[in-house]
Amino acid sequence: MTDESFDDMTDESFDLRLRLLDRQVVDPDGAMICKVDDVELAPADGGGYVVTALLAGPLALGPRLPGRLGRWTVALARRWSDDPEPSPRRIPFERVTELGSAVVLDRSRDQLGIAGLEDWVRTHVIDRIPGSRHASE
Amino acid sequence: MRASELLAAEVRTVDGRRLGVVTGLRCSLDGPSQGPTPAPRVRALVVTGRHVGAALGYQQENQRGPWLVRALIRALHRRSRLVDVGLIDRVEAGTVRLSAEPD
Repeated sequence: MTDESFDDMTDESFDLRLRLLDRQVVDPDGAMICKVDDVELAPADGGGYVVTALLAGPLALGPRLPGRLGRWTVALARRWSDDPEPSPRRIPFERVTELGSAVVLDRSRDQLGIAGLEDWVRTHVIDRIPGSRHASE
Repeated sequence: MRASELLAAEVRTVDGRRLGVVTGLRCSLDGPSQGPTPAPRVRALVVTGRHVGAALGYQQENQRGPWLVRALIRALHRRSRLVDVGLIDRVEAGTVRLSAEPD
């Protein structure tokens, strides 16, 4: 353990929490996709842990929130999910093309298939409207 | 493992002594990735005695902001240390246990 002037740490080192968490995620056209609510880490060959995916949604954010707010956030997300074992929306890190003030991906939200709220509204609201499946006829 | 499992976790040495809490994850941008951007590699835990104000980021030298807030946060975190992630033995229920005594 040393002071913050850690030997291996260069000027290029950065804090993951400040540089990545809570950043806006956008597609190549700048359209907003989600926020980085958490990241997935895995042990790396060269030592340390490497970021393998960005996690988004209430199941990722909930555990970061304090006390009851966090527990309720997770509980509500589980309650409303159609999946018996729901998990956060996951974006593999190889989709990231730029890490700046926003995190830029190489695909749109629809291509990633992570539009959780839209999917929920389509399943639980739109599809129940009479005639909604025959709009083009 | 998620980053949130490390952030705010208590850090304890082999003999159970409390070193502090994790307030940050120091990274380098050289991790393996199949995409165009190298993946962030977590190299060290930023460990300090208290968690208050850590999310503001003023404990870092290159952060600007209101001098009073910056001075207060830096004073609170003046004893922050970096612990190599290679020393992590296991992470369990909000506690990071180290496999060896830090230098």
